[in-house]
Amino acid sequence: MAGATRTPLIREDASRPEAVAGLAIAVAVALIAVGIASLFGLVGIDATLGGGSGMTAIGGVTTVTALGGLLVALGAAVIGLGVGSALGYVETEPSPNAGLVATVAFAGVWFVLGGLAASVAFDGVLAWLPAGAATGGAAFVTAAATREDVGSTLPAGAVAVVIGGTFLTGTIGPSWVWDLGFEQQASLTATFVVPAATIGCGLLAGWAAAKAYGGFGARGRRMGAYLLIYVNASAIIGVLFLLIAFTAVRGIPGLLTGATVAPGAGPTVSVLGVSVALPVSVPFVMNGVSLLNDFQGVLPAIVGTVWLVVGAVVFAVPLGVGAAVFLTEYAERGRLTQAVEIATNGLWSTPSIVFGLFGFTFLVPRFGGTKSLLSGMLTLGFMLLPLVLITSREALLAVPDEYRDASAALGVSKWHTIRSVVVPAALPGVVTGVILGVGRIAGETAPILLTMTGGTFVSGDRAADVIGGFAFTAQPPFVTNPELLRATTALPFQLYALITAGVGLGDNVSNPTEFQWATAFVLLLVVLSFYAVGIGARYYFRRRLRHE
Amino acid sequence: MSETTPTSETDRTTTEEPDRETTEEPNQTTTEEPNQTTTAESTEADDSTNATTHTTTGEADERVREEWREYEFAGKPKFAVEDLDVHYGDDHALQGVSIEIPENSVTALIGPSGCGKSTFLRCLNRMNDRIKGARVDGSVRIDGREIYQDGVNLVELRKRVGMVFQSPNPFPKSIRENVAYGPAKHGDIETGLLARLLGRSDEAARDRLVEECLRDAALWEEVNDRLEDNALGLSGGQQQRLCIARCLSVDPEVILMDEPASALDPIATARIEDLIEQLSEEYTVVIVTHNMQQAARISDQTAVFLTGGELVEYGDTDQVFEDPRSERVEDYITGKFG
Repeated sequence: MAGATRTPLIREDASRPEAVAGLAIAVAVALIAVGIASLFGLVGIDATLGGGSGMTAIGGVTTVTALGGLLVALGAAVIGLGVGSALGYVETEPSPNAGLVATVAFAGVWFVLGGLAASVAFDGVLAWLPAGAATGGAAFVTAAATREDVGSTLPAGAVAVVIGGTFLTGTIGPSWVWDLGFEQQASLTATFVVPAATIGCGLLAGWAAAKAYGGFGARGRRMGAYLLIYVNASAIIGVLFLLIAFTAVRGIPGLLTGATVAPGAGPTVSVLGVSVALPVSVPFVMNGVSLLNDFQGVLPAIVGTVWLVVGAVVFAVPLGVGAAVFLTEYAERGRLTQAVEIATNGLWSTPSIVFGLFGFTFLVPRFGGTKSLLSGMLTLGFMLLPLVLITSREALLAVPDEYRDASAALGVSKWHTIRSVVVPAALPGVVTGVILGVGRIAGETAPILLTMTGGTFVSGDRAADVIGGFAFTAQPPFVTNPELLRATTALPFQLYALITAGVGLGDNVSNPTEFQWATAFVLLLVVLSFYAVGIGARYYFRRRLRHE
Repeated sequence: MSETTPTSETDRTTTEEPDRETTEEPNQTTTEEPNQTTTAESTEADDSTNATTHTTTGEADERVREEWREYEFAGKPKFAVEDLDVHYGDDHALQGVSIEIPENSVTALIGPSGCGKSTFLRCLNRMNDRIKGARVDGSVRIDGREIYQDGVNLVELRKRVGMVFQSPNPFPKSIRENVAYGPAKHGDIETGLLARLLGRSDEAARDRLVEECLRDAALWEEVNDRLEDNALGLSGGQQQRLCIARCLSVDPEVILMDEPASALDPIATARIEDLIEQLSEEYTVVIVTHNMQQAARISDQTAVFLTGGELVEYGDTDQVFEDPRSERVEDYITGKFG
């Protein structure tokens, strides 16, 4: 039996099949990338490639046809690799069969394919069930009963060939629509189906090609798993960058309208009594909205968002960390701590509109009866509190007990130990929690809609001036700040009002679409800059805890 | 006694109850089980045949005698412990330990795992208070003052009785901050912002203290040019010496060490051992160790704990290692079990 799993110590030269398999992997990855790009509308399904501007030089061929051709070639290559290995042309070490997961997956894919084909061919007849069962069963038997080299390449390659064939022959063309026939209007169009099917086939055939590249067996499976993991990871990163790029491309024109760089072009800023005229003028982020502006801006909303986040963090972090210190260091583990844990987890998953209603009915009447910046800050602070508590608690629990013991053995009191050793060691974790929480609350619309926002468009000179708003009085409460008690606006709310409620159309805004995208982009930038601050803080605290 | 592991309660109680009587009324030993009625020498001869079967678990059917634990020394004791019992929940970790530890010497506590050495050590500065479910009965006196009574100032006690742990546990701070941590927290040294603003900063005093402690811990030469570096960047042996320096910084009278060299390589261990011998001139050192050669090398007197949390033998190190009075201790020391 030992001989059955013995593999050659030194692999013979296998450069030619490996080159074919490597090429197939490259084609599969490229297909997946094109599929994702076309899902985002970057590559049109019916676009004609060629004429010099396209990616390939095939004149007059639509993207669908090109994708179909590539899929067929990919499938054929994968099948060729498998069959070549089975016939002994290529030296490989395949396992006896393709494995349970692959078998079941192939059976499922082929069941769907067969069923779909039958339901299109015999419309309205229940023929899809036996047809699907037949193809699915065939795939199951192929994968289960044959050796791994055929069992895992033939079904995968055949999927690519069949789907590529439908693209190539025009069965599914650019204008293909499948009306699902529900009462509601619902249909699958080629713009969705073609990229999705391409991505699916690319994954399947790429996986099979990677297995062939590794010569099947244990090494081949590892290669297949690598391919799936790497494609998955890069797809996540790719989607993230696409999202940001998508917003940036549409937002930057609006953001930069009227921007000038010249000495003294910008508004005058006075710092410590010295007035300096900024050399940069970006009206979109420096103006509010008024009749006189040649280009309207979102300055009050930016200021409002920043103050909201700052206020919420200032409110929630000390409370959250304090509660976490109490629960971790002082409270006996028991009913109370468990109840608090359940309650905080529940609070964190509470819908934000519920927090908004709480602010609306509880906070707003207590702060002058009108919506105000302070109510918004506190509402978002309450939203942030559970996450800060949960993450701080985890971070405190992760501080080694040796630190506490060492400190106690020096005769240092518990409070001093917590303040000087435990909390500093937990700070990176706390900061991580705050970063996550800020990411959520900075984009919240519902709670501030109910607690904070007044008019959508606030003129630039009415941006909340929280620091300058503090005034001292002789009577209690001695400190007043009308700025905190006044309604203002914030970026997510402004975006919501612009798009959903249609506010601002024809309201001095020359190009509403550009304005909206620019607002979204600025919101993204504000959130990202909060992230940058948080990540910088975490890096600083980590450096202090670790050597170099 | 069975050859199985000694965990069942009935086994415990049958061996425990006679023990109590022996300690209270030594004369009654003659009424005990037949193989114990003979003299010590003949007992050893009798038991030698079946001793191997028993002692693999350290559970020989041997009674602890009061005189094995008697140790006369000149000078006054630093610690006087009487009838110390410790329970962790239902687990009886220490049973009626009585011992006197002389001043300015090294006392080694040896014994197999789980025999209560560390528990005993942690009783001496009341670190067991920090363990949930631990209950301590009995009396521990330091310089004649009882530490298990109401109104004991734990801060002062732990300043006087410092502790070094098994694994090096410096704080994730700079080397200087690690050493100055204790005095700063006790208010002996003020280098905070307020103190600096008021011109009362003790930075010079702090630096003197740091240097002195690091020199005493034989670490100064290695780190004097990088006191600002994080202590976690030091090697294991350096970290442990830093922990000793940190312990010295609060000017203790006693240093408790819980297997301080078990995580270190032989060279670092040798340095720690040299250090312990130097420290014993000024401080009372109590050290728990698994390494019997180490105990023999560095200690003045040795206490042997065996399974069940009993103190079996206590005496001058040379006597304990060369002529142990208890047969089980002999088996343990010669490596028959443990």
